[in-house]
Amino acid sequence: MNRREVLRSAALVALATPFAGNRWTMALAQDGARIFTLAYPTGFPDLDPATSFSNDGAVLANVYESLTRYIPGTDGAPATVNPLLAESWETSADGLTWTFRLRAGVKFHDGSDLTAEAVKGSIERTITIAGGAAFIWYAVTGIAAPDPQTVVFTLSSPQPLDVIAASGFAAWIISPAALDKDNAWFNAGNGAGTGPFTLDRYEPGQRVILNRFAGYWGGAPEGGFDTVAFEIVEDAVLDQSMIEGGQADWTYGLPYENLEALQANPDLSVLVNPSFETLFGMYNTKRAPLDRPKVRQALSLAFPYDDVIMAGTSGMGSRAMGVIPNGIWGHDPAAPVPNTDLDAARALLAEEGLADSGLELVMTYATSDQLESTAGELWKANLAQLGITLTLQPMAWEAQWQLAKADPATAQDIFVMYWWPTYVTPYDYLLNLFHSEESPVYNLGYYANPAFDALIDEAATLSGTDRARAEAMFIEAQRMVIADAAAVFMLDKPNIHIIRSDIKGYKDNAAYGHVVFVNDLNR
Amino acid sequence: MDLARYILRRALLSAFVVMGVTFLVFVVAQVVPSDPAALYAGPRPNAEQIEKARVTLNLDAPLPERFARFAVSMATGDFGVSYKSRRLISQDLRVYLPATLELAVSSTLLALLIGIPAGVATAARQGSWGDRLGSLGSILAVAMPTFFFAMLLQMIFASWLGILPLSGRLSREISISDPLPFITGFNLIDAMLAGRPQVFVDALWHLILPALTLAAYPAGIAMRLTRSAMIDILSRRHITAARALGLPERRILYGHALRNAVGPALTMIGLSFAFALTGSVLVEIIFAWPGLGRYVSDSILSKDFPVIAAATLVVTVCYVLMNLVIDLTQAVVDPRVALK
Amino acid sequence: MSVLRRLGLGGSLGLAVILTFALLAVAAPLLAPYPGQGMGDPNVTAKLTPPSAEFWLGTDHLGRDLLSRVIYGTRVSMSAGLMIVAVSLLVGLPVGLLAGYFGGWVDEALMRVTDVFLAFPALLLAVLMAAALGPGLLNSIVAVSVTWWPWYARMARAEVLVLRGQPYVEAARLMGVSHPRILIRHILPGAARPLLVQAALDFGPALLTASALSFLGLGVLPPTADWGKMVDEGRKFFPDRWWVSTAPGVAIFLLALAFSVLGDALRGREGGKRDDPS
Repeated sequence: MNRREVLRSAALVALATPFAGNRWTMALAQDGARIFTLAYPTGFPDLDPATSFSNDGAVLANVYESLTRYIPGTDGAPATVNPLLAESWETSADGLTWTFRLRAGVKFHDGSDLTAEAVKGSIERTITIAGGAAFIWYAVTGIAAPDPQTVVFTLSSPQPLDVIAASGFAAWIISPAALDKDNAWFNAGNGAGTGPFTLDRYEPGQRVILNRFAGYWGGAPEGGFDTVAFEIVEDAVLDQSMIEGGQADWTYGLPYENLEALQANPDLSVLVNPSFETLFGMYNTKRAPLDRPKVRQALSLAFPYDDVIMAGTSGMGSRAMGVIPNGIWGHDPAAPVPNTDLDAARALLAEEGLADSGLELVMTYATSDQLESTAGELWKANLAQLGITLTLQPMAWEAQWQLAKADPATAQDIFVMYWWPTYVTPYDYLLNLFHSEESPVYNLGYYANPAFDALIDEAATLSGTDRARAEAMFIEAQRMVIADAAAVFMLDKPNIHIIRSDIKGYKDNAAYGHVVFVNDLNR
Repeated sequence: MDLARYILRRALLSAFVVMGVTFLVFVVAQVVPSDPAALYAGPRPNAEQIEKARVTLNLDAPLPERFARFAVSMATGDFGVSYKSRRLISQDLRVYLPATLELAVSSTLLALLIGIPAGVATAARQGSWGDRLGSLGSILAVAMPTFFFAMLLQMIFASWLGILPLSGRLSREISISDPLPFITGFNLIDAMLAGRPQVFVDALWHLILPALTLAAYPAGIAMRLTRSAMIDILSRRHITAARALGLPERRILYGHALRNAVGPALTMIGLSFAFALTGSVLVEIIFAWPGLGRYVSDSILSKDFPVIAAATLVVTVCYVLMNLVIDLTQAVVDPRVALK
Repeated sequence: MSVLRRLGLGGSLGLAVILTFALLAVAAPLLAPYPGQGMGDPNVTAKLTPPSAEFWLGTDHLGRDLLSRVIYGTRVSMSAGLMIVAVSLLVGLPVGLLAGYFGGWVDEALMRVTDVFLAFPALLLAVLMAAALGPGLLNSIVAVSVTWWPWYARMARAEVLVLRGQPYVEAARLMGVSHPRILIRHILPGAARPLLVQAALDFGPALLTASALSFLGLGVLPPTADWGKMVDEGRKFFPDRWWVSTAPGVAIFLLALAFSVLGDALRGREGGKRDDPS
């Protein structure tokens, strides 16, 4: 046998590995543990329940619990606030005092009992640290614990505290033993909640492992899961291969274009629901020529709403009726939003002396956000027909934001971003995005309208006591913003989750973003 | 003593270069358009939270003071915390650095294992079909864009044939239910130390595709270098003499000729390793390899300055050390190098 | 004909491919089947169509004809490769000339700065620079050039060291010819020649580096067509809808391959026999 033959046979052996022909799987002795695996497309930056304000809520919602839980309305059924750690609650006639009665027999993971002092301590810790979404408690002036099962909140203005307490951020109740722990302790993978799972292991950037908490007050469903594995896989291509291959039970964030093929796969269910996330572009109302409402209206008339929904979300998104998405009270299904109409846009521009003016505008958006980029590219093509050049400027979010917060005169013309609510109220959208501000934080179109400000501020104080009137006022305020064309309301994002078909008991809850309450599930 | 002076000079130069790199990274970071305070304050912060972060991070201090702090923290290996995750960077590096080194070392070995024998074989049979095929292969390997090659390998070996895993360092079954204890961070070594042959095989299998991607380019170069060096050496007088003396051809090839090729081989190691460190930025993203390359590109995209600085510095120090070791080895093997 | 004979079969093929791409770049509006889509106009109704008679290479996620996109992308890739090499030469050559000619502390200072830039893994520094400068074709060219010029500086310096000792340079210096004159008239021509050959060889690698940056999202602004970015855009449809990434991926490969083959042919002629050092 000469050298060449040796090489040739070596190559043959290499090709004929014992794995040939089979999908790569590691033959492992399964110990029969029931594992629910989430292929999660983002990391979890902060596991401190006081300051978490991101997707880390997905982990925390299985480890910690809040006093109440928000269930969005579906198909005409009104939204409800359900008991969780609180069994019942009542508010005084003026809406300034809220009394919560706690569930009995609830244990923290460290074995201690849930008491009113623990609730008071948790929320006070959150307020003191003042990070993340702590502002949701801004109206709270005092928390009292008259007896171990009763917590009383006093407020400076009437607020829907039952909804606030259901927030997916800054509302978690932690064990008294953990009250003096710092941020690093929680982010080292320690937990101290009452939830159905305990935090077992945190490998930053890679995975979080939760194990069932045997002393959970709510028990476990038949066939429920022993272990929850959050596999952090920041690449949609790989998330998709995991859910298709059965290495994951749940995922989201896959390319819309691929969903049709997944829908045809009998092993998978693709759940498409409305989300509370809406995409819009705020016009720079402080700089010519976009300081003129008619010019802004013309741009909004040139936006290809249906094409962006088709091309950007494969038809799964929905028209944005103003800034408040479907499913949140204050949503206005009859909002007078513009439709794509290039002729009308051209006429408006001519009226303003801007027919084929060679106008140049800059739109900033977040780097690597495909939907924002698609919306920009399609809009750009339409505007080109009106003689307007739109420059698409992708930027890192902080850079985009810093530019916008500086001087409106040198900032972008159009600021594209998403908004989602911290807790479920229309005030959150309208206050942050369009209430006038001395130095802008999120009102990055610099919209200032005293009538609008007064209207939503009053509606906010009414929303704890007279929600119907508050809703009518919020809708009126929203119509002001639409008439002024303060922003182009591009679309409401769909909430799309992909789940293995053999998982039972799954329900989406748009109020909690991309959160899975694993204790509801079984296989 | 020339050699001693050379070693000293090379070492001092390397130290200087690392300082220069530190300075350059700091300067570039000042130019990066971003607001570190907004990043540190977390997602969707309000104005007070940003102000607080600005104070915590000491961002309003004058530039020289900030550079001094930065240089000291880099020199002491206390890389501070990530603005984005607020985690200790040194903790992250402990996991990510071995992951990247494991990949870089494997791909270097693979490149040499493919490139050198192919170079020797083609040089021994100049002009044959095998030689031409080898040359063609090396040209293709050098022109292939790394990221596209990675995708092709994934498609063929993971999606179609299903004989190799698509991504990751270990099968998820292992990572979730029965993780490997963290000893050195090199999965192959840890699996052996933990006495788990199955995990060793699993880790090895996960290494193949990313290592192959990174090995293609240096293997092509190594083959060319070996081939031309061999042809050059084979034509020299002492080989002719050895042939005349009737020494077996194999001994001539590997004994006499290869010994003279240590220098080029070291060059090739350096080149492969450098390419692996560079290419890790692309390959680790595509293969979801939790290493430095992915860490640094994530941090660059999110403008997470302390991570950019620490990771860039660590990669660069690896690179500089590698070059230092190679140069010194070369000087010891062949003192003429030191004189140049 | 004699040029082709000297280049050999491989080199001639390489040259032919490069000239074809150059033609595509120059005459893109005439040659692209859908010039508008090549420049970015969306065509939503045809999105992700597989290759067909209408769209030879299929369409992308906005329904744009990939053949037209690839043809327009030629402009970006060709000019990126050319500009990177040119900018690097413009910086590296003078630095190397000065360092080599004056020696001493000038040499020491310039070469230590060069060492710092060479100490970075190239792509890493390019990514860092691109992030600092922001996206855009020009910025990514600058970012890659920053990692590229030190090589030319080193080469130029080595060439100058040899030339400086040549009798005709010595003679000029003794005759009192000024430094700039000696540098420009007597040294530059000799030093530049091997550098220009090297620069021609570097086209392919420069192109690959630029496309890697663009793959990472640090290249051109949308909707400009760029190969690296197109491969990235198609990756999420890969391998089910393979054509989106494959068309631009193969284009990068072909052009880099052509440059590499042509380079080999050139080097084979230029290099000749090496002196035996022993």
